[in-house]
Amino acid sequence: MIPSVESALKLRGVSKRYEDIVAVDNIDLDVEHGEIFGLLGPNGSGKTTTLKIILGLVKPDSGSVNVLGIEATNDPIAVKKQVGYVPESPRLYEFLTGLEYLDFIGDIYGVALSEKKTRIKEYLEALELEGREGDMISSYSEGMKQKIALISAFLHKPKLLLLDEPLSGLDPRSARIVKDLLRKLTSQGVTTIMSTHILEIAQAMCDRLAIMYEGRLLALGNMEELRQKARLPGSDLEDIFLKLTGTEDVREVVEALLK
Amino acid sequence: MNWKNVLRLISVDIKAGRLIRGQRLRRYRESRVFQYLLYGGACLIGLAIGIGIAIFCTVVPDPQLKTLLYQSTRDLFVSFPTLVLIFSVVFTMMGQIQRMGVRASLQPPYWLPITWKEHTLASTLANLIGVPLAALILLSSVIATVSIFLGETPIAVFTIFALLASAFLASTTTEIFRVLQVRFVGAVYKSTGKAAVWVRFVGSLLFLVVFYIVWFAFTSGASSVALIEAVAGAQQAVWFVPYVWLGMSLAAFMSGLLVQTMLFLLASLLFILALFYVAAKLNAKFGLYEPPAITVSRGIYAPKVGFLGKLGFSSLEAAVIRKDFKAFTRRRELMYVFIMPLVFILMPLMQYFGVYGRPVQPEGSRFLFALMLLIPGAMMAAMMGLMIIGEEGEPVWHFFSSPVTARSLVKCKYALIIIFSCVATLVCGVVGILIARPSLDIAVALLAESMLLIFALGAVSLGAGITGADFTEVPRPRMVRPLTAFVYMFLCMVLASVIFFPLLLHALTTGYIPTPIPVPLPKIDLYIAVSISAVMALITTFVFYKIALKNAEEFLIKAEI
Repeated sequence: MIPSVESALKLRGVSKRYEDIVAVDNIDLDVEHGEIFGLLGPNGSGKTTTLKIILGLVKPDSGSVNVLGIEATNDPIAVKKQVGYVPESPRLYEFLTGLEYLDFIGDIYGVALSEKKTRIKEYLEALELEGREGDMISSYSEGMKQKIALISAFLHKPKLLLLDEPLSGLDPRSARIVKDLLRKLTSQGVTTIMSTHILEIAQAMCDRLAIMYEGRLLALGNMEELRQKARLPGSDLEDIFLKLTGTEDVREVVEALLK
Repeated sequence: MNWKNVLRLISVDIKAGRLIRGQRLRRYRESRVFQYLLYGGACLIGLAIGIGIAIFCTVVPDPQLKTLLYQSTRDLFVSFPTLVLIFSVVFTMMGQIQRMGVRASLQPPYWLPITWKEHTLASTLANLIGVPLAALILLSSVIATVSIFLGETPIAVFTIFALLASAFLASTTTEIFRVLQVRFVGAVYKSTGKAAVWVRFVGSLLFLVVFYIVWFAFTSGASSVALIEAVAGAQQAVWFVPYVWLGMSLAAFMSGLLVQTMLFLLASLLFILALFYVAAKLNAKFGLYEPPAITVSRGIYAPKVGFLGKLGFSSLEAAVIRKDFKAFTRRRELMYVFIMPLVFILMPLMQYFGVYGRPVQPEGSRFLFALMLLIPGAMMAAMMGLMIIGEEGEPVWHFFSSPVTARSLVKCKYALIIIFSCVATLVCGVVGILIARPSLDIAVALLAESMLLIFALGAVSLGAGITGADFTEVPRPRMVRPLTAFVYMFLCMVLASVIFFPLLLHALTTGYIPTPIPVPLPKIDLYIAVSISAVMALITTFVFYKIALKNAEEFLIKAEI
């Protein structure tokens, strides 16, 4: 895949407000092709809303969203065709079997029959769902549902992956497979934007990171740039995150709780 | 038993209604006035009815009639506990049926320090909240008011107590049924393996159809009066059945038989306690619901070459139709769509064969045929259209995140409505033809009319179903906002009447449906009547299909859920 000159994602002055709460506050963001980009931030900082805005699930109050060279508001269907999305807690069709669900997703994205068959088989094998694919999803564990949601995002070979807490509930082997798969896809030019609370994973996987707080972008860059911004040379992402979000005083909080 | 825990659990159940009422969720404030409006209203209506009856009884000049009224009132009081029991069982069962398949609503918070007895008591009492409690308040208000006027306060107090106990008894019975149902159904699915999906479909349909036929038989016109008469008379004959002991106790109290009163009352209370004990034990054993792993297919993945593709549907549209077909045959809460047409076939059939009394006359059978051919399909189209978008529930994000256009969404959803409704019409038509043996002209005309109604009402209700979709799933899937459903069901009825009017005129002017007074209009030809209907139906379909498309565009743009 040959990445185009344009960024995979370009957000300019994007804001979203829910009544008196500012979920996303005037964000400018560029994500390059073939990049794994991490969105970090405390609960309610605007990560999920930002991902939804990119996909067109949430309409911004202001600003422009350009995804893979397409203005998302002008042609949302063209954007959706090229994006694979895993929501934070994916609600699947529980009355379908895993296989029926993936078949449905394949058809929705217009994956050719033979290709669909091969890919579903490979993914089910890789994520150890073989043998359970004929069971209704209602009987799956949360981890199994997450695996199905991830397969459904990968199935149509999207150019952009939007993953909200992608490794949540996965067993270590499957998590490793997904991580390796994302790296391989990156080398093929697929862009991944993921939101996560697991800072070790973010630090290990992401080329660049953005730290969000109260809807704003507090910091943006690779690990070295974030260390410089936080003035914490040699420190890990957890220390940087806590310092930048002003939540580093955890010791006092714990002591207060133990009183 | 920690009573505070019971009260807290009941309050959680009441608050679950917030989500399905579509309240704003931020800075939520509940209006107490609104919360108690139903019960306050029931109380006021009860008082008004009671005063009305009491005044009527007082002003009647004829002493014989007065005595008769007095005696009838007392007889009615005696039958009240058993009647309340029957109706509470039906209502609480209805509540449970609506919740079937919703895991979250069945799952008690087992990780909290709450005993099974507390949970069972809370669940039993919470079952009564809503219509059953409002009905109890209404009835109690009537009884109290009438009794004060008649100077029978002790009887009123006893009756009201018996009503409350009966309602609790009914709800406990429902609780036992609920737990057993979860256990039994789980066991059946596990043992039936691949056939589980169809066992579930047929089993649920059978259960619900029987339930609704019994319900309609109880509540429809003369049957409800017959039921009251039967209960008043039959209670004595079946005195050994514990469920009538409360009524027996009340009857004994009214006759001044104190020993019998105490015996039946004590026995009733012991029976209620025993049932409650059983319910708590069953809950402890089977109460935690685990969805059975239903294996639908095994082995090699074999994608089908879509038949729908050959009909002109894209792979996306065909996929949505297939998915929805599975939803309607696998999700219990959606099976209601099939129940109403089935009830509409069975009820007239039972009437025809005289199950509810005299069999229908030949002219009645013509009317019956028209009813069987027209109503089920049209009703199914209207119901499906209203719920077919909301039934997506929370997984509706698939439509927002995937490349589904408004045109595709409306096309595939509308197609499924038409397919299901036409099948229902054909089945009903075949049954109707076998029974009523109409002429070919009439059969074809009614079949065409039915199809026209399906196309028109399907488009009307689909447009409404898109704008009025409600995706909340807990405590039960609502699918469509109640106001939207009410308004559009009414609109569907009006439009159906308008479309059907030419055919009705034909039936009246030609004497197909006999009238006491001849209609002063020239005879309208059958084919002209159907043609006028067709034009009206096609215009309606076109206009509302366009509206549905516009609504779908807005729906996909305003994707925020």
